[in-house]
Amino acid sequence: MKVTPVKLWRRQKETSSLIGKKGHILLWTIIRVPAKSFGQQAPYPVVVVELEGGQRMVGQLVDWQEKDLRVGTNVIAVLRRLRTEEKADVISYNIKFKPL
Amino acid sequence: MKIQILGTATTKFGELWGVSPRTMAREAIQNAVVASGLKPSDIDAIFVGNMLSGILGNQANLGSLVTEELGEFKPSLRVEGACASGGLALNTAINSLLSGQYKTVLIVGLEKMTDHNSDDVTAGLMAAGSDEERIAGATFPGLYALMARAYMQKYGITEELLASVSVKNHYHGTFNPKAQFQMAITVTDVMRSSKVADPLKLLDCSPISDGAAAVVITSEPSKKFAKKPVYITASEVATDTLSFYERSSFTSLAAVVNASAKAYKKAGVTSEDIDVAEIHDCFSIAEVVATEDLGFSKRGKAAKDIAEEKFTLGKGKLITNPSGGLKSCGHPVGATGIKQIVEITEQLRGEAGKRQVPNARVGLTHNVGGTGTVAAIHILQTKL
Repeated sequence: MKVTPVKLWRRQKETSSLIGKKGHILLWTIIRVPAKSFGQQAPYPVVVVELEGGQRMVGQLVDWQEKDLRVGTNVIAVLRRLRTEEKADVISYNIKFKPL
Repeated sequence: MKIQILGTATTKFGELWGVSPRTMAREAIQNAVVASGLKPSDIDAIFVGNMLSGILGNQANLGSLVTEELGEFKPSLRVEGACASGGLALNTAINSLLSGQYKTVLIVGLEKMTDHNSDDVTAGLMAAGSDEERIAGATFPGLYALMARAYMQKYGITEELLASVSVKNHYHGTFNPKAQFQMAITVTDVMRSSKVADPLKLLDCSPISDGAAAVVITSEPSKKFAKKPVYITASEVATDTLSFYERSSFTSLAAVVNASAKAYKKAGVTSEDIDVAEIHDCFSIAEVVATEDLGFSKRGKAAKDIAEEKFTLGKGKLITNPSGGLKSCGHPVGATGIKQIVEITEQLRGEAGKRQVPNARVGLTHNVGGTGTVAAIHILQTKL
């Protein structure tokens, strides 16, 4: 199943409610061989985050440095451009995480 | 359960550029039916295990495609559950026998992956994950890397210890003429291979492969069938969340624990009775976690047990992945679950040649889809 603009649009309420939420890293990896539409961003970290309140999410880590890649790093949910679109397509935005 | 395995067959696994999915299916089906001592008209129905044909090859309707290759237009359907598609096809076929609807059925697992570039295959395999994981830019190696990270942190395991899984499975693969990679590798080779998703490196990961495997099973064995009887004494499936990050544990897969517990109970055996097992080692960490979830090692000890050659041919008592596993034999995803059955059947019949586990009587196959989203466990025995 592709992540299409309509799918992201259906999630917009949830997405906007997450912006600014804080949490910490539970698990991390660096993706070096990415799926196609994320190619221009590789290598990039993917992290499992536990938000304040206990909700868990998986997402990309942005604006990161080597020292941020550890369990317990505090992060904040931000809205970022998701990926590189093919041709002239709707530009998708979604939640990513930034170290605090 | 009184279900007997008749003929089995696999094609060579590997980069089969000269072979179409149809040709692979034909080879596996014809050889399995001939090995069963049957005519195509004796097959009551066909079950096809496949994941990616619709996504990559734009060929859905595989059930009918396969009937053309059997030459008999019998009931035929495709079963999918990511990399467990083969195991789920077998489970569905067994249930059709238990219902009394059919008496003798053919199961074929097949996958054609190397016609497509690795970007498309990587994206296609992510069909086994969730929207949340796809939006995060995760890949399957990436998701198993998260599992590896959690496991290494919890038990203080090194990357070198994880690497011993690939070393063992490549050693076993040197004895398997059907394997994609028939060469031994060392821990240093694994450590020096390029990183795919930290901490997993290329040689921690199973390859992209083509291949097909087929088995014929029956609830009414004929006395004419001359080979040593092998019975399927348990076929159990369990599921879990699509997403890995939602699991209560990152170091154990509940679907495997639940399906194997049901299977041991159904077959009336314990993990200690297993002589030989085919484990779904899509990544080195997957075999480590599975070895514990199946009860072959204590929690946190599997990597060390594997490194100490407790599961290696000629060294250990219980042998895991004598075929070379997914890592060395290859991983055409829909074919893998059936190939595991073919391997265990050969082992229990004493027909496995140089990779024969001596006096194997009880075998197990462990086939997993997604990040433990679905697991199919089968137990095979020489006696009921």
